[in-house]
Amino acid sequence: MSAQKKESWGSKIGIILAVAGSAVGLGNFLRFPVQAASNGGGAFMIPYFISLFLVGIPLMWIEWSIGRYGGIFGHTTAPGMFQKLWKTRLSKYFGVIGIFGPLVIFIYYVYVESWLLGYSFYSLTGVLSSIHDTGSMSKFLSGYQGLEINQFFSGLGSAYAFFVVTFALNVWIIYKGVEGGIEKLCKIALPTLLIFAVIIMVRVFTLGAPNPAYPDWNIANGFGFLWNPDFSALLSARTWLAAAGQIFFTLSVGIGVILTYASYLNKGDDIALSGLSAASTNELAEVVLGGSIVIPLAFAFFGPVGIKAIAGSGAFDLGLVTMPLIFSQISLGALFSFLWFFLLFLAGITSSVSLIEPAVAFVKDDFKMGRKKSVTLVSIFTFVLCQPAIFFLGHGVVNELDFWGGTFCLVLFGTIEAVLFTWAFGIDKAWEEMHRGAQLTIPSFYKWIIKYITPTFLIIILISWFFQEGIPTVLMEGVAPANIPYILLTRAGLVMLFVALALLVRHALKKKIPEAQQ
Amino acid sequence: MNIYGWIFIVASWSVIIGLTAFCFYKVFTEKDEEI
Repeated sequence: MSAQKKESWGSKIGIILAVAGSAVGLGNFLRFPVQAASNGGGAFMIPYFISLFLVGIPLMWIEWSIGRYGGIFGHTTAPGMFQKLWKTRLSKYFGVIGIFGPLVIFIYYVYVESWLLGYSFYSLTGVLSSIHDTGSMSKFLSGYQGLEINQFFSGLGSAYAFFVVTFALNVWIIYKGVEGGIEKLCKIALPTLLIFAVIIMVRVFTLGAPNPAYPDWNIANGFGFLWNPDFSALLSARTWLAAAGQIFFTLSVGIGVILTYASYLNKGDDIALSGLSAASTNELAEVVLGGSIVIPLAFAFFGPVGIKAIAGSGAFDLGLVTMPLIFSQISLGALFSFLWFFLLFLAGITSSVSLIEPAVAFVKDDFKMGRKKSVTLVSIFTFVLCQPAIFFLGHGVVNELDFWGGTFCLVLFGTIEAVLFTWAFGIDKAWEEMHRGAQLTIPSFYKWIIKYITPTFLIIILISWFFQEGIPTVLMEGVAPANIPYILLTRAGLVMLFVALALLVRHALKKKIPEAQQ
Repeated sequence: MNIYGWIFIVASWSVIIGLTAFCFYKVFTEKDEEI
Protein backbone atom coordinates (compact mmCIF):
# COMPACT_ATOMS: atom_id res chain seq x y z
CA MET A 1 0.00 0.00 0.00
CA SER A 2 1.17 3.50 -0.79
CA ALA A 3 2.86 5.37 2.00
CA GLN A 4 1.13 8.57 0.91
CA LYS A 5 -2.27 9.41 2.33
CA LYS A 6 -4.89 8.00 -0.03
CA GLU A 7 -7.02 10.65 -1.72
CA SER A 8 -10.78 10.15 -1.52
CA TRP A 9 -14.12 11.62 -2.55
CA GLY A 10 -15.93 13.94 -0.16
CA SER A 11 -19.40 12.46 -0.75
CA LYS A 12 -21.29 9.76 -2.61
CA ILE A 13 -23.01 12.33 -4.83
CA GLY A 14 -19.55 13.75 -5.60
CA ILE A 15 -18.26 10.60 -7.27
CA ILE A 16 -21.60 9.93 -9.02
CA LEU A 17 -21.50 13.40 -10.58
CA ALA A 18 -17.78 13.02 -11.39
CA VAL A 19 -18.35 9.74 -13.27
CA ALA A 20 -21.51 11.12 -14.92
CA GLY A 21 -19.56 14.28 -15.81
CA SER A 22 -16.88 12.14 -17.40
CA ALA A 23 -19.54 10.33 -19.43
CA VAL A 24 -21.64 13.34 -20.47
CA GLY A 25 -19.84 14.96 -23.37
CA LEU A 26 -20.31 16.23 -26.89
CA GLY A 27 -21.51 12.80 -28.01
CA ASN A 28 -24.65 13.06 -25.87
CA PHE A 29 -25.83 16.18 -27.67
CA LEU A 30 -24.40 15.62 -31.16
CA ARG A 31 -23.57 11.96 -31.83
CA PHE A 32 -26.64 10.29 -30.28
CA PRO A 33 -29.38 12.16 -32.20
CA VAL A 34 -27.56 11.67 -35.51
CA GLN A 35 -27.03 7.96 -34.84
CA ALA A 36 -30.68 7.48 -33.85
CA ALA A 37 -32.07 9.43 -36.79
CA SER A 38 -29.82 7.54 -39.25
CA ASN A 39 -30.54 4.07 -37.85
CA GLY A 40 -34.26 3.54 -37.68
CA GLY A 41 -35.40 6.49 -35.50
CA GLY A 42 -37.51 5.22 -32.59
CA ALA A 43 -36.72 1.61 -33.54
CA PHE A 44 -33.05 2.41 -32.77
CA MET A 45 -34.05 2.60 -29.11
CA ILE A 46 -34.77 -1.17 -29.00
CA PRO A 47 -31.14 -2.26 -29.63
CA TYR A 48 -30.00 0.85 -27.72
CA PHE A 49 -31.75 -0.21 -24.50
CA ILE A 50 -30.80 -3.87 -24.97
CA SER A 51 -27.14 -2.77 -25.28
CA LEU A 52 -27.48 -0.47 -22.27
CA PHE A 53 -28.70 -3.29 -20.02
CA LEU A 54 -26.46 -6.04 -21.45
CA VAL A 55 -23.21 -4.16 -22.01
CA GLY A 56 -23.27 -0.58 -20.73
CA ILE A 57 -24.48 -1.01 -17.17
CA PRO A 58 -22.60 -4.32 -16.56
CA LEU A 59 -19.37 -2.77 -17.83
CA MET A 60 -19.99 0.23 -15.60
CA TRP A 61 -20.29 -2.10 -12.56
CA ILE A 62 -17.21 -4.05 -13.69
CA GLU A 63 -15.09 -0.88 -13.92
CA TRP A 64 -16.29 0.47 -10.59
CA SER A 65 -15.55 -2.90 -8.97
CA ILE A 66 -12.06 -3.24 -10.46
CA GLY A 67 -11.25 0.35 -9.50
CA ARG A 68 -12.36 0.03 -5.89
CA TYR A 69 -10.66 -3.37 -5.57
CA GLY A 70 -7.38 -1.98 -6.94
CA GLY A 71 -7.60 1.06 -4.69
CA ILE A 72 -7.65 -1.18 -1.61
CA PHE A 73 -4.13 -2.29 -2.58
CA GLY A 74 -2.92 1.22 -3.39
CA HIS A 75 -3.33 0.92 -7.15
CA THR A 76 -5.01 3.88 -8.85
CA THR A 77 -4.45 2.91 -12.49
CA ALA A 78 -5.13 -0.16 -14.63
CA PRO A 79 -1.66 -1.83 -14.72
CA GLY A 80 -1.50 -2.52 -10.99
CA MET A 81 -5.20 -3.39 -10.85
CA PHE A 82 -4.94 -5.89 -13.69
CA GLN A 83 -1.97 -7.51 -11.99
CA LYS A 84 -4.12 -8.05 -8.89
CA LEU A 85 -6.90 -9.59 -11.03
CA TRP A 86 -4.67 -11.87 -13.07
CA LYS A 87 -1.33 -12.69 -11.47
CA THR A 88 0.95 -12.87 -14.49
CA ARG A 89 3.71 -10.58 -15.72
CA LEU A 90 1.72 -9.90 -18.89
CA SER A 91 -1.41 -8.46 -17.28
CA LYS A 92 0.16 -5.12 -16.37
CA TYR A 93 0.96 -4.45 -20.03
CA PHE A 94 -2.74 -4.80 -20.93
CA GLY A 95 -3.30 -2.21 -18.23
CA VAL A 96 -1.01 0.28 -19.97
CA ILE A 97 -3.93 0.89 -22.39
CA GLY A 98 -5.82 2.35 -19.40
CA ILE A 99 -3.26 5.18 -19.11
CA PHE A 100 -2.32 5.48 -22.77
CA GLY A 101 -5.92 5.68 -24.11
CA PRO A 102 -7.16 8.57 -21.97
CA LEU A 103 -3.88 10.44 -22.44
CA VAL A 104 -4.21 10.21 -26.24
CA ILE A 105 -7.85 11.33 -26.11
CA PHE A 106 -6.92 14.24 -23.82
CA ILE A 107 -4.32 15.48 -26.34
CA TYR A 108 -6.97 16.40 -28.92
CA TYR A 109 -10.07 16.59 -26.74
CA VAL A 110 -8.79 19.58 -24.78
CA TYR A 111 -8.24 21.46 -28.05
CA VAL A 112 -11.78 20.69 -29.29
CA GLU A 113 -13.06 21.73 -25.86
CA SER A 114 -11.27 25.09 -26.25
CA TRP A 115 -13.23 25.74 -29.49
CA LEU A 116 -16.41 25.60 -27.39
CA LEU A 117 -15.04 28.18 -24.97
CA GLY A 118 -14.07 30.33 -27.97
CA TYR A 119 -17.52 29.95 -29.51
CA SER A 120 -19.12 30.82 -26.15
CA PHE A 121 -17.12 34.06 -26.22
CA TYR A 122 -18.07 34.82 -29.84
CA SER A 123 -21.73 34.12 -28.98
CA LEU A 124 -21.72 36.64 -26.14
CA THR A 125 -19.98 39.30 -28.23
CA GLY A 126 -22.60 38.87 -30.98
CA VAL A 127 -20.10 37.82 -33.65
CA LEU A 128 -21.79 34.47 -34.33
CA SER A 129 -25.31 35.92 -34.44
CA SER A 130 -24.18 38.37 -37.15
CA ILE A 131 -23.47 35.45 -39.56
CA HIS A 132 -26.55 34.31 -41.46
CA ASP A 133 -25.49 31.81 -44.12
CA THR A 134 -23.97 28.33 -44.05
CA GLY A 135 -21.00 29.26 -46.27
CA SER A 136 -19.91 32.12 -44.00
CA MET A 137 -20.43 30.04 -40.84
CA SER A 138 -18.27 27.26 -42.32
CA LYS A 139 -15.61 29.85 -43.20
CA PHE A 140 -15.73 31.18 -39.65
CA LEU A 141 -15.02 27.66 -38.34
CA SER A 142 -12.23 27.01 -40.87
CA GLY A 143 -10.66 30.39 -40.10
CA TYR A 144 -10.89 29.80 -36.35
CA GLN A 145 -9.22 26.40 -36.73
CA GLY A 146 -6.43 27.96 -38.79
CA LEU A 147 -7.33 25.93 -41.88
CA GLU A 148 -7.62 29.09 -43.98
CA ILE A 149 -7.06 32.81 -43.74
CA ASN A 150 -10.29 34.69 -44.38
CA GLN A 151 -12.34 37.76 -43.41
CA PHE A 152 -12.88 36.35 -39.92
CA PHE A 153 -9.40 35.19 -38.85
CA SER A 154 -5.88 35.85 -40.05
CA GLY A 155 -4.31 32.90 -38.21
CA LEU A 156 -4.48 30.53 -35.26
CA GLY A 157 -3.96 33.26 -32.62
CA SER A 158 -7.50 33.29 -31.19
CA ALA A 159 -7.86 29.52 -31.16
CA TYR A 160 -4.48 29.15 -29.48
CA ALA A 161 -5.34 31.73 -26.81
CA PHE A 162 -8.57 29.85 -25.95
CA PHE A 163 -6.62 26.59 -25.95
CA VAL A 164 -4.12 27.97 -23.41
CA VAL A 165 -6.95 29.19 -21.17
CA THR A 166 -8.75 25.82 -21.41
CA PHE A 167 -5.58 23.86 -20.77
CA ALA A 168 -4.72 26.05 -17.76
CA LEU A 169 -8.24 25.55 -16.34
CA ASN A 170 -7.85 21.77 -16.62
CA VAL A 171 -4.46 21.87 -14.93
CA TRP A 172 -5.75 24.09 -12.13
CA ILE A 173 -8.69 21.76 -11.40
CA ILE A 174 -6.48 18.65 -11.37
CA TYR A 175 -3.92 20.50 -9.26
CA LYS A 176 -6.62 21.10 -6.59
CA GLY A 177 -7.08 17.35 -6.19
CA VAL A 178 -9.89 14.82 -6.19
CA GLU A 179 -12.22 16.40 -3.63
CA GLY A 180 -11.15 20.04 -3.96
CA GLY A 181 -10.85 20.06 -7.74
CA ILE A 182 -12.66 17.34 -9.71
CA GLU A 183 -15.54 16.82 -7.28
CA LYS A 184 -16.12 20.53 -6.77
CA LEU A 185 -16.09 21.15 -10.53
CA CYS A 186 -18.57 18.36 -11.28
CA LYS A 187 -20.93 19.39 -8.48
CA ILE A 188 -21.21 22.81 -10.14
CA ALA A 189 -20.72 22.04 -13.84
CA LEU A 190 -23.02 19.05 -14.29
CA PRO A 191 -26.18 20.61 -12.78
CA THR A 192 -25.40 23.87 -14.62
CA LEU A 193 -25.10 22.19 -18.00
CA LEU A 194 -28.31 20.22 -17.38
CA ILE A 195 -30.14 23.45 -16.51
CA PHE A 196 -28.78 25.14 -19.66
CA ALA A 197 -29.93 22.15 -21.74
CA VAL A 198 -33.43 22.29 -20.18
CA ILE A 199 -33.66 26.04 -20.98
CA ILE A 200 -32.74 25.39 -24.61
CA MET A 201 -35.13 22.42 -24.74
CA VAL A 202 -38.02 24.59 -23.50
CA ARG A 203 -37.17 27.14 -26.22
CA VAL A 204 -37.19 24.34 -28.80
CA PHE A 205 -40.62 23.13 -27.62
CA THR A 206 -42.07 26.64 -28.01
CA LEU A 207 -40.67 27.32 -31.50
CA GLY A 208 -43.53 25.73 -33.47
CA ALA A 209 -42.96 26.33 -37.20
CA PRO A 210 -40.35 29.12 -37.46
CA ASN A 211 -40.81 29.58 -41.21
CA PRO A 212 -44.48 30.46 -42.01
CA ALA A 213 -43.89 29.53 -45.66
CA TYR A 214 -43.31 25.90 -44.59
CA PRO A 215 -45.79 25.02 -41.83
CA ASP A 216 -44.74 21.34 -42.00
CA TRP A 217 -41.22 22.31 -40.99
CA ASN A 218 -42.11 22.32 -37.32
CA ILE A 219 -40.74 20.96 -34.04
CA ALA A 220 -43.33 18.15 -33.79
CA ASN A 221 -42.27 16.82 -37.19
CA GLY A 222 -38.64 17.33 -36.13
CA PHE A 223 -39.27 14.97 -33.22
CA GLY A 224 -40.98 12.67 -35.70
CA PHE A 225 -37.85 12.63 -37.86
CA LEU A 226 -35.91 11.37 -34.84
CA TRP A 227 -38.52 9.14 -33.20
CA ASN A 228 -40.85 7.69 -35.90
CA PRO A 229 -39.68 4.06 -35.99
CA ASP A 230 -38.47 2.30 -39.12
CA PHE A 231 -38.82 -1.32 -38.03
CA SER A 232 -36.98 -2.62 -41.09
CA ALA A 233 -33.78 -1.14 -39.60
CA LEU A 234 -33.96 -3.80 -36.87
CA LEU A 235 -33.15 -6.41 -39.49
CA SER A 236 -29.85 -4.67 -40.26
CA ALA A 237 -26.72 -5.66 -38.31
CA ARG A 238 -25.49 -2.09 -38.85
CA THR A 239 -28.30 -0.74 -36.62
CA TRP A 240 -27.45 -3.12 -33.78
CA LEU A 241 -23.75 -2.31 -34.01
CA ALA A 242 -24.46 1.41 -34.12
CA ALA A 243 -26.62 1.13 -30.99
CA ALA A 244 -24.07 -0.98 -29.11
CA GLY A 245 -21.27 1.39 -30.17
CA GLN A 246 -23.25 4.43 -29.03
CA ILE A 247 -23.87 2.89 -25.59
CA PHE A 248 -20.22 1.96 -25.31
CA PHE A 249 -18.91 5.42 -26.21
CA THR A 250 -21.48 7.44 -24.29
CA LEU A 251 -20.87 5.82 -20.89
CA SER A 252 -17.10 6.50 -20.89
CA VAL A 253 -16.49 2.80 -20.27
CA GLY A 254 -13.40 1.15 -21.72
CA ILE A 255 -11.24 4.24 -21.22
CA GLY A 256 -9.75 3.66 -17.79
CA VAL A 257 -10.99 6.81 -16.08
CA ILE A 258 -13.69 5.06 -14.03
CA LEU A 259 -11.03 2.68 -12.68
CA THR A 260 -9.04 5.64 -11.35
CA TYR A 261 -12.09 7.47 -10.01
CA ALA A 262 -13.36 4.31 -8.24
CA SER A 263 -9.91 3.64 -6.75
CA TYR A 264 -10.48 6.70 -4.53
CA LEU A 265 -13.40 4.88 -2.84
CA ASN A 266 -13.05 2.94 0.38
CA LYS A 267 -13.45 -0.83 0.69
CA GLY A 268 -17.04 -0.78 1.96
CA ASP A 269 -18.40 2.01 -0.21
CA ASP A 270 -21.35 1.26 -2.47
CA ILE A 271 -20.71 0.84 -6.17
CA ALA A 272 -23.89 -0.89 -7.40
CA LEU A 273 -26.21 2.09 -6.84
CA SER A 274 -23.53 4.69 -7.61
CA GLY A 275 -22.64 3.09 -10.94
CA LEU A 276 -26.28 2.82 -11.97
CA SER A 277 -26.93 6.43 -10.92
CA ALA A 278 -24.01 7.73 -13.00
CA ALA A 279 -25.19 5.70 -16.03
CA SER A 280 -28.79 6.88 -15.71
CA THR A 281 -27.70 10.53 -15.39
CA ASN A 282 -25.76 10.15 -18.61
CA GLU A 283 -28.79 8.59 -20.31
CA LEU A 284 -31.01 11.45 -19.12
CA ALA A 285 -28.60 13.95 -20.68
CA GLU A 286 -28.39 11.92 -23.89
CA VAL A 287 -31.88 10.63 -24.70
CA VAL A 288 -34.11 13.23 -23.05
CA LEU A 289 -32.03 16.40 -23.49
CA GLY A 290 -29.66 15.51 -26.35
CA GLY A 291 -32.52 14.09 -28.41
CA SER A 292 -34.66 17.21 -27.95
CA ILE A 293 -32.35 19.91 -29.25
CA VAL A 294 -30.28 19.43 -32.38
CA ILE A 295 -32.45 17.29 -34.70
CA PRO A 296 -35.85 18.93 -34.00
CA LEU A 297 -34.27 22.39 -34.38
CA ALA A 298 -32.42 21.54 -37.59
CA PHE A 299 -35.59 19.99 -39.05
CA ALA A 300 -37.67 23.04 -38.24
CA PHE A 301 -35.18 25.38 -39.94
CA PHE A 302 -33.89 23.27 -42.85
CA GLY A 303 -36.80 20.91 -43.58
CA PRO A 304 -36.88 17.18 -44.37
CA VAL A 305 -34.36 17.40 -47.24
CA GLY A 306 -31.90 19.75 -45.51
CA ILE A 307 -31.89 17.71 -42.29
CA LYS A 308 -30.66 14.60 -44.14
CA ALA A 309 -27.66 16.50 -45.53
CA ILE A 310 -27.00 18.05 -42.11
CA ALA A 311 -27.23 14.69 -40.31
CA GLY A 312 -24.64 13.32 -42.72
CA SER A 313 -22.25 16.25 -42.32
CA GLY A 314 -20.74 15.08 -39.04
CA ALA A 315 -21.00 16.13 -35.42
CA PHE A 316 -18.66 19.13 -35.62
CA ASP A 317 -20.50 20.73 -38.54
CA LEU A 318 -23.79 20.08 -36.80
CA GLY A 319 -22.65 21.66 -33.55
CA LEU A 320 -20.38 24.43 -34.79
CA VAL A 321 -22.00 25.45 -38.09
CA THR A 322 -25.68 24.46 -38.13
CA MET A 323 -26.51 25.29 -34.51
CA PRO A 324 -25.05 28.85 -34.41
CA LEU A 325 -26.75 29.50 -37.77
CA ILE A 326 -30.10 28.50 -36.27
CA PHE A 327 -29.53 30.59 -33.15
CA SER A 328 -28.71 33.60 -35.35
CA GLN A 329 -32.29 33.36 -36.69
CA ILE A 330 -34.22 33.32 -33.40
CA SER A 331 -34.87 36.07 -30.87
CA LEU A 332 -32.30 36.20 -28.04
CA GLY A 333 -30.19 34.04 -30.34
CA ALA A 334 -26.88 35.28 -28.88
CA LEU A 335 -27.97 34.18 -25.41
CA PHE A 336 -29.14 30.73 -26.57
CA SER A 337 -25.99 30.35 -28.62
CA PHE A 338 -23.93 31.08 -25.50
CA LEU A 339 -25.97 28.61 -23.42
CA TRP A 340 -25.43 25.95 -26.12
CA PHE A 341 -21.67 26.37 -26.45
CA PHE A 342 -21.05 26.86 -22.76
CA LEU A 343 -23.02 23.74 -21.86
CA LEU A 344 -20.90 21.81 -24.38
CA PHE A 345 -17.77 23.38 -22.86
CA LEU A 346 -18.87 22.28 -19.37
CA ALA A 347 -19.61 18.80 -20.72
CA GLY A 348 -16.12 18.86 -22.22
CA ILE A 349 -14.19 20.00 -19.17
CA THR A 350 -15.82 17.46 -16.83
CA SER A 351 -14.66 14.81 -19.31
CA SER A 352 -11.16 16.19 -19.96
CA VAL A 353 -10.18 16.38 -16.28
CA SER A 354 -11.14 12.71 -16.00
CA LEU A 355 -8.98 11.88 -19.03
CA ILE A 356 -5.79 13.36 -17.58
CA GLU A 357 -6.34 12.02 -14.05
CA PRO A 358 -5.10 8.43 -14.75
CA ALA A 359 -1.72 9.75 -15.96
CA VAL A 360 -1.45 12.03 -12.93
CA ALA A 361 -2.47 9.20 -10.60
CA PHE A 362 0.14 6.91 -12.20
CA VAL A 363 2.98 9.38 -11.62
CA LYS A 364 1.70 10.35 -8.17
CA ASP A 365 1.05 6.90 -6.74
CA ASP A 366 3.45 4.62 -8.61
CA PHE A 367 6.43 6.98 -8.45
CA LYS A 368 5.56 8.35 -5.01
CA MET A 369 5.46 11.98 -6.04
CA GLY A 370 3.08 14.55 -4.60
CA ARG A 371 0.01 15.62 -6.60
CA LYS A 372 1.40 19.07 -7.39
CA LYS A 373 4.67 17.72 -8.73
CA SER A 374 2.85 15.02 -10.70
CA VAL A 375 0.41 17.51 -12.20
CA THR A 376 3.27 19.81 -13.20
CA LEU A 377 5.15 16.98 -14.93
CA VAL A 378 2.12 15.55 -16.72
CA SER A 379 0.93 19.04 -17.77
CA ILE A 380 4.24 19.99 -19.37
CA PHE A 381 4.36 16.64 -21.16
CA THR A 382 0.77 16.80 -22.46
CA PHE A 383 1.06 20.48 -23.43
CA VAL A 384 3.89 19.51 -25.80
CA LEU A 385 1.89 16.53 -27.11
CA CYS A 386 -1.13 18.76 -27.85
CA GLN A 387 0.83 20.87 -30.37
CA PRO A 388 0.61 18.51 -33.40
CA ALA A 389 -3.16 18.25 -32.91
CA ILE A 390 -3.39 22.05 -33.06
CA PHE A 391 -0.99 22.83 -35.88
CA PHE A 392 -1.64 19.78 -38.10
CA LEU A 393 -5.42 19.56 -37.67
CA GLY A 394 -5.92 19.92 -41.43
CA HIS A 395 -3.64 16.94 -42.07
CA GLY A 396 -5.83 14.44 -40.25
CA VAL A 397 -3.81 14.22 -37.00
CA VAL A 398 -6.87 14.64 -34.76
CA ASN A 399 -8.83 11.99 -36.68
CA GLU A 400 -5.89 9.62 -36.31
CA LEU A 401 -5.60 10.25 -32.56
CA ASP A 402 -9.36 9.80 -32.21
CA PHE A 403 -9.21 6.47 -34.05
CA TRP A 404 -6.48 4.98 -31.84
CA GLY A 405 -7.23 6.64 -28.50
CA GLY A 406 -10.96 7.25 -28.77
CA THR A 407 -12.10 4.12 -30.59
CA PHE A 408 -9.56 1.30 -30.87
CA CYS A 409 -8.30 1.48 -27.27
CA LEU A 410 -11.84 1.82 -25.89
CA VAL A 411 -13.22 -1.29 -27.51
CA LEU A 412 -10.08 -3.33 -26.85
CA PHE A 413 -9.69 -2.22 -23.23
CA GLY A 414 -13.38 -2.76 -22.46
CA THR A 415 -13.19 -6.31 -23.79
CA ILE A 416 -9.97 -7.08 -21.89
CA GLU A 417 -11.25 -5.82 -18.54
CA ALA A 418 -14.57 -7.67 -18.89
CA VAL A 419 -12.76 -10.94 -19.65
CA LEU A 420 -10.15 -10.44 -16.90
CA PHE A 421 -12.71 -9.58 -14.24
CA THR A 422 -15.21 -12.33 -14.97
CA TRP A 423 -12.90 -15.14 -16.13
CA ALA A 424 -9.37 -14.53 -14.78
CA PHE A 425 -10.49 -13.06 -11.43
CA GLY A 426 -13.52 -15.36 -11.38
CA ILE A 427 -17.22 -14.57 -11.51
CA ASP A 428 -17.87 -15.64 -7.90
CA LYS A 429 -15.23 -13.28 -6.50
CA ALA A 430 -16.33 -10.62 -8.98
CA TRP A 431 -19.97 -10.93 -7.87
CA GLU A 432 -18.95 -10.73 -4.22
CA GLU A 433 -16.80 -7.67 -4.96
CA MET A 434 -19.68 -5.92 -6.74
CA HIS A 435 -21.98 -6.49 -3.77
CA ARG A 436 -19.67 -5.39 -0.96
CA GLY A 437 -21.33 -2.34 0.62
CA ALA A 438 -24.01 -2.35 -2.09
CA GLN A 439 -27.07 -0.20 -1.47
CA LEU A 440 -28.83 -1.92 -4.36
CA THR A 441 -29.24 -5.63 -4.92
CA ILE A 442 -28.20 -6.47 -8.45
CA PRO A 443 -30.66 -9.05 -9.88
CA SER A 444 -29.06 -12.51 -9.82
CA PHE A 445 -29.54 -13.06 -13.58
CA TYR A 446 -26.90 -10.34 -14.06
CA LYS A 447 -24.28 -12.82 -12.80
CA TRP A 448 -24.96 -14.88 -15.90
CA ILE A 449 -25.14 -11.80 -18.14
CA ILE A 450 -21.83 -10.44 -16.82
CA LYS A 451 -20.08 -13.79 -17.20
CA TYR A 452 -21.30 -14.77 -20.67
CA ILE A 453 -23.30 -12.10 -22.47
CA THR A 454 -21.25 -8.95 -21.78
CA PRO A 455 -17.84 -10.38 -22.85
CA THR A 456 -19.42 -12.10 -25.90
CA PHE A 457 -21.23 -8.91 -26.91
CA LEU A 458 -17.96 -6.95 -26.54
CA ILE A 459 -15.96 -9.45 -28.58
CA ILE A 460 -18.58 -9.25 -31.36
CA ILE A 461 -18.40 -5.44 -31.30
CA LEU A 462 -14.58 -5.59 -31.38
CA ILE A 463 -14.46 -7.98 -34.35
CA SER A 464 -17.22 -6.22 -36.32
CA TRP A 465 -15.72 -2.82 -35.67
CA PHE A 466 -12.29 -4.05 -36.74
CA PHE A 467 -13.58 -5.21 -40.13
CA GLN A 468 -15.96 -2.28 -40.70
CA GLU A 469 -13.79 0.62 -39.59
CA GLY A 470 -10.47 -0.71 -38.33
CA ILE A 471 -9.02 -2.18 -41.52
CA PRO A 472 -9.92 0.78 -43.80
CA THR A 473 -8.43 3.23 -41.30
CA VAL A 474 -5.27 1.22 -40.72
CA LEU A 475 -4.78 0.99 -44.50
CA MET A 476 -5.36 4.77 -44.74
CA GLU A 477 -8.17 4.39 -47.28
CA GLY A 478 -9.37 7.79 -48.46
CA VAL A 479 -6.41 9.65 -46.94
CA ALA A 480 -4.98 12.34 -49.23
CA PRO A 481 -1.39 11.44 -50.32
CA ALA A 482 -0.10 14.74 -48.87
CA ASN A 483 -1.42 13.74 -45.43
CA ILE A 484 0.13 10.27 -45.32
CA PRO A 485 3.47 11.44 -43.80
CA TYR A 486 1.55 13.20 -40.98
CA ILE A 487 -0.50 10.06 -40.31
CA LEU A 488 2.59 7.85 -40.25
CA LEU A 489 4.44 10.26 -37.95
CA THR A 490 1.43 10.34 -35.62
CA ARG A 491 1.40 6.53 -35.51
CA ALA A 492 5.15 6.44 -34.82
CA GLY A 493 4.66 8.94 -31.99
CA LEU A 494 1.84 6.84 -30.51
CA VAL A 495 3.94 3.68 -30.62
CA MET A 496 6.80 5.49 -28.84
CA LEU A 497 4.39 6.83 -26.22
CA PHE A 498 2.95 3.35 -25.59
CA VAL A 499 6.41 1.76 -25.30
CA ALA A 500 7.60 4.52 -22.97
CA LEU A 501 4.53 4.06 -20.75
CA ALA A 502 5.00 0.27 -20.75
CA LEU A 503 8.63 0.70 -19.60
CA LEU A 504 7.56 3.13 -16.89
CA VAL A 505 4.85 0.72 -15.72
CA ARG A 506 7.39 -2.13 -15.62
CA HIS A 507 9.81 -0.03 -13.60
CA ALA A 508 7.16 1.33 -11.22
CA LEU A 509 5.46 -1.99 -10.47
CA LYS A 510 8.78 -3.77 -10.01
CA LYS A 511 9.46 -1.42 -7.13
CA LYS A 512 5.90 -1.38 -5.84
CA ILE A 513 5.04 -5.10 -5.96
CA PRO A 514 7.59 -7.63 -4.68
CA GLU A 515 8.89 -10.01 -7.37
CA ALA A 516 7.14 -13.02 -5.83
CA GLN A 517 3.74 -11.36 -6.19
CA GLN A 518 4.19 -10.37 -9.84
CA MET B 1 -44.80 12.60 -35.50
CA ASN B 2 -46.89 9.48 -35.88
CA ILE B 3 -48.41 7.36 -33.11
CA TYR B 4 -45.46 4.94 -33.05
CA GLY B 5 -43.06 7.85 -32.64
CA TRP B 6 -45.08 9.04 -29.65
CA ILE B 7 -45.08 5.54 -28.16
CA PHE B 8 -41.29 5.26 -28.50
CA ILE B 9 -40.52 8.71 -27.10
CA VAL B 10 -42.90 8.28 -24.14
CA ALA B 11 -41.61 4.77 -23.38
CA SER B 12 -37.93 5.77 -23.67
CA TRP B 13 -38.27 8.91 -21.59
CA SER B 14 -40.29 7.01 -18.97
CA VAL B 15 -37.63 4.31 -18.58
CA ILE B 16 -34.81 6.84 -18.26
CA ILE B 17 -36.53 9.41 -16.08
CA GLY B 18 -37.93 6.62 -13.90
CA LEU B 19 -34.54 4.96 -13.50
CA THR B 20 -32.81 8.26 -12.71
CA ALA B 21 -35.48 9.25 -10.19
CA PHE B 22 -35.27 5.83 -8.51
CA CYS B 23 -31.46 5.99 -8.27
CA PHE B 24 -31.28 9.51 -6.88
CA TYR B 25 -34.14 8.86 -4.46
CA LYS B 26 -32.10 5.97 -3.05
CA VAL B 27 -28.86 7.99 -3.08
CA PHE B 28 -30.37 10.88 -1.14
CA THR B 29 -32.36 8.78 1.30
CA GLU B 30 -29.45 6.54 2.32
CA LYS B 31 -28.17 7.45 5.77
CA ASP B 32 -24.41 7.10 5.23
CA GLU B 33 -24.15 9.57 2.37
CA GLU B 34 -20.75 10.88 3.44
CA ILE B 35 -17.99 8.58 2.31
